[in-house]
Amino acid sequence: MSVALLLAALPALYWPEPVATAAAVREAGIERLLVPPDQVDAWRAAGVSAEPLRALDRKARVSLDEPGLLVRADVASATLRPWVVANGWRFRRDPAGRFLYDALPPGKAALATAEVFVHGADAVLAIDPRDLVQVGLMLRFLATVPDAELPEVADVAVVDDGSALLGEVLSLLARRNLLFRLVGAPDPDARLTVQLGTEEFPRDEAADPDAFALAVRRRLTDARRSVRVFGSEVVLVRAVADSSHARIHLLNYGQRPIAGLRVRFAGRWDAGRALGDGIGPMPLEDHSPSDDATEFTLPELAIYTVVDLEAR
Amino acid sequence: MDRRSFVRLLTAAPVASAVGARSVPPYRVVSAYAPAALPGMPGPWPGRVVDVRSNACLDPAGDVVNESVVRAMLSRGMRALTGEKSTTDAWRRFFEPSDVVGIKVNCGGHPFVVSSPAIVAEIVRQLVAVGLAPSHVHVYERFQNQLDAVDYAPHLPEGVQIVAAEGWNLRVDNSAYDPDTYVEAELFGEENTRSNMMRLVTRRLTKIVNVPNMKDHGATGVTGCLKNVAYGSFSNVARTHSRGTSHTFSFVGTLAAVEPLRSRTVLQIMDGLSGVWHGGPFAHTRRYVFHPRRILLGTDPVAIDRLLLDVIDEKRRAERAISIWDRSPRFVKLDDTAARDDDPNVNIMIREPGHVEYASTLGLGVYDRARLRLEEIEL
Repeated sequence: MSVALLLAALPALYWPEPVATAAAVREAGIERLLVPPDQVDAWRAAGVSAEPLRALDRKARVSLDEPGLLVRADVASATLRPWVVANGWRFRRDPAGRFLYDALPPGKAALATAEVFVHGADAVLAIDPRDLVQVGLMLRFLATVPDAELPEVADVAVVDDGSALLGEVLSLLARRNLLFRLVGAPDPDARLTVQLGTEEFPRDEAADPDAFALAVRRRLTDARRSVRVFGSEVVLVRAVADSSHARIHLLNYGQRPIAGLRVRFAGRWDAGRALGDGIGPMPLEDHSPSDDATEFTLPELAIYTVVDLEAR
Repeated sequence: MDRRSFVRLLTAAPVASAVGARSVPPYRVVSAYAPAALPGMPGPWPGRVVDVRSNACLDPAGDVVNESVVRAMLSRGMRALTGEKSTTDAWRRFFEPSDVVGIKVNCGGHPFVVSSPAIVAEIVRQLVAVGLAPSHVHVYERFQNQLDAVDYAPHLPEGVQIVAAEGWNLRVDNSAYDPDTYVEAELFGEENTRSNMMRLVTRRLTKIVNVPNMKDHGATGVTGCLKNVAYGSFSNVARTHSRGTSHTFSFVGTLAAVEPLRSRTVLQIMDGLSGVWHGGPFAHTRRYVFHPRRILLGTDPVAIDRLLLDVIDEKRRAERAISIWDRSPRFVKLDDTAARDDDPNVNIMIREPGHVEYASTLGLGVYDRARLRLEEIEL
């Protein structure tokens, strides 16, 4: 991938801080900024590639949630299933959408950056200045991830009726790593089609999206799922694959690195390799292929790791 | 060892017990380990328990352990259990110099009710007398912070390994667990559906000595031999209790029956010097601590835990607290640990003391009180 294309594929950072911070920006390895229009020239003069982001353009973008964990005593518990806030489902629902993480609190920017990259979304990050170094490190890591254009892996076809209610359902399906693709009409080739308002999936049952997503999971069955993650409740997956190559993106929404994450992926695959932020290349451990799936252990997951597998 | 995985599917079915029918979730048990010719649980003496008592094992306040009395209690108990004349010969019935032995301690009741360092030290002393190198003895728990709080090292010879699977209970480190030996079940809609056995147990240890305490437990009714060795050797077990409901009824025994844990756990030594009759498995205050001044020995975890049920329930009755068998919703304040700690008539969920009987249905031991062969020894 060319440098220009690569930069275009990476999330864009909105930086309203004064140009006096140029040295810190360069030191963080950040090569491209979006800045207020009246500061573009000053930034360019300081040797930083800068493009204007008007207030109007910011407002026109869809605002995203802060990625991470929430304490929701009514629906989640620290010991069982922490409540994950993630935006991947929004990117999937509106691939042409233009998004904004507005005023991310400290500690969130690196995860948001990785989240955008994983889904190839058009998103602008307005970060806390204290996260500059972490974002720079993440961007530099993302630039090392080899390109892979592969079809989406999905177990569930979801008929998108455009409703907010379905958005809640998509969010919960994503939290459970129930890989889905959005369709305009029921798909006879899908393992399971979810359409709100049908006899199988009544609209009123979706009023509790968590229970609804669990019902979808049980209807699909765990055995028929393309991907399973063991050892954490806070790692979300996106997978793409063809018959010879698979790529699994793993995002850790928790606040701590995870050691020894076990992944089960449908199909027979060779041992493969992993590349993790803050870690670099690492071998996959305890590789265990069977007839219908391949399991491996990821030694460590900081925020984001990409795993590439080749067919056996 | 045959590396093929034996997959055992235990299908969902209601199970009748002394306390009524319970539903048992479907479990998928995966292990490559075949059982020993004589699995350690229930071992050579199903239903047999030696109960050694001595008022002198603690000072009158219950704070200070008399190590020489504890040593005498263990010696007498081991000789009675095995029928051997010498203490070393009694230990030789279980262990040989080539063994690598794990001592599964319980540190969750720190500071007042943990596996006594005096008992652990005497076990190590006897293993070394049998001919084991100290480095072949592993004192283990799941969480390092709990081991650190108790600090066994000053009581043990140089070389003894003191190891934990995780730093503390954050559920972010799975690397010390065996990815190929696990029980899979979805209990409350969780995604992380596997509980894996510690690699130490599957790949290093040849035998295990289980050293639980006499403790009340908010989910299981009591925590004794079965729960200590099961929940203390597997990952991701706290998921079995949620919002007033606990699957411990079937999960404790199911874990304990997984190979190689079942075959390698050859000796049960229940530390009943001190116990906790409410608020367990923790013992943050002295309020619910009591001092049975006993050590129970055997190879059958069910038989010992059957006696423990009575010990805890009788103590609770004496303290005018509700029974561990009480399932009335009116005593349940969901997950309100502060209320539970304040009032011995508060449960935070429905307790499942029936887990001991359920374990007996898996072949782990004898539950029927009338069939127990109890030998009481007073020193």
